[in-house]
Amino acid sequence: MIELSGLRYRNIGIDSLMIPPGITSVIGPNGSGKTTLLRLCSGIAEPEAGVILIDGKTPRETDVGWVNEFPDKNILFSRVSDEIASALRFSHHPCMEIDSAVNTIAQLMNITHLLDRTMRELSGGEKVLVALAAALVQQPKILVLDEYDSHLDEMRCFQIEHVIQTCAVPYVIRCTQQMDTAARGDYLLFLENGRITLSGSPERVFTSLSQTPFYPLSWRCKV
Amino acid sequence: MKLHLNAARACRGDWSLAAHATFCEGVHLVSGDVGSGKSTLALMMAGLLSPTGGSIVRDGISSTMISLQFPEYHVTGATVAEECRSWGLDSDPILSEINLRNKRDAAPLTLSRGELKRLHLACALAKNYDLLLLDEPFSSLDAREKERLCEIMSQRTGGITIIFTHEQTTFPRVDHIWEIQQGMLIDRGEMPDALTRWEHAPALIKKIISSGKSLKNISPLDLQEAVCRT
Repeated sequence: MIELSGLRYRNIGIDSLMIPPGITSVIGPNGSGKTTLLRLCSGIAEPEAGVILIDGKTPRETDVGWVNEFPDKNILFSRVSDEIASALRFSHHPCMEIDSAVNTIAQLMNITHLLDRTMRELSGGEKVLVALAAALVQQPKILVLDEYDSHLDEMRCFQIEHVIQTCAVPYVIRCTQQMDTAARGDYLLFLENGRITLSGSPERVFTSLSQTPFYPLSWRCKV
Repeated sequence: MKLHLNAARACRGDWSLAAHATFCEGVHLVSGDVGSGKSTLALMMAGLLSPTGGSIVRDGISSTMISLQFPEYHVTGATVAEECRSWGLDSDPILSEINLRNKRDAAPLTLSRGELKRLHLACALAKNYDLLLLDEPFSSLDAREKERLCEIMSQRTGGITIIFTHEQTTFPRVDHIWEIQQGMLIDRGEMPDALTRWEHAPALIKKIISSGKSLKNISPLDLQEAVCRT
């Protein structure tokens, strides 16, 4: 379980929340604090008060994979293969092991054709795919995805969901503006002005949002 | 007013894109896979990237604006209000319209990504450009903002609007659909006939069409009407 209690940071205020293992989607209006909450869950930001515990450990004591909403901000290296290998190199894994892990994740994500390219010449969507591969290569305990899908087409989104399932990451927290994507997760949080106003299964949360534009269009248009 | 692409080409290593087409006034949608060349095509149309072959002719077009996929590349003002003024616009009405008046003195890059996109699009859409190129305009916007943006786009009269996107659910009413496939820009034609030929159509639109419902256009309202129709 991910346990949030007495959490205060900028506009975020969450008194108590338990997030079960699986894929949790965070939705809400622009500026409601989704990215800030994700930064706290990944340990990039530390709460002013309160705690976040992932199976009893703080995010900074946990292996975290993070994909930024601005893919350009994630990039450290110029070559794609170096970028994907970075987390393993920083933790001094043997070279052979790193090469093999980079190839495995690139094959799984169907991006082997990008390995020798430079990051600069990639399209927006391709940068997100590389950032995701770089996050998954170290087999994190928690994968935090900040609107990765806003740069991807439908086919790539489905493919990534399949990859995430194959990698069996225990906790995935993602924020998205695609309500149909949110509907496919295990757990859903609706954030408004820094407060979680709804949480539960997608069916339960979306039922409360049925009169708003946040209700998935595919549910509205059942054929 | 017309935008002619005369066998225009872009090449980068073994990747290439070819486009031979004419865009007339109205709202056009260009779809294609990740990395297919949507942004490259938009940059060429805007005149920011020279084609490696062929030519692009802007016939009767006196003003062009491209809205880039990442709004942070557009920022020139130190504050939100200054950013509006850098477009030659009065900041008050714009910021009221997009509900960002309380952030008028904030630095644009401290806004959330969705807020920054909202600010940038409000400025770009407030001016009446003859040729308006929108690269992934819906990315990061919340469901409410997407609907509002679609409404504004549908109200735009005259000019050529070209939307490059892989958005799956919320679209404005469009006049024409194009796709990039295997390095070629392909004309799928005018609405609603284009719909049956649109290979990148979102799953929901494909499902509605294959169920035999007649779909007039692709706005959320059109989809709901088609589903309700017996």
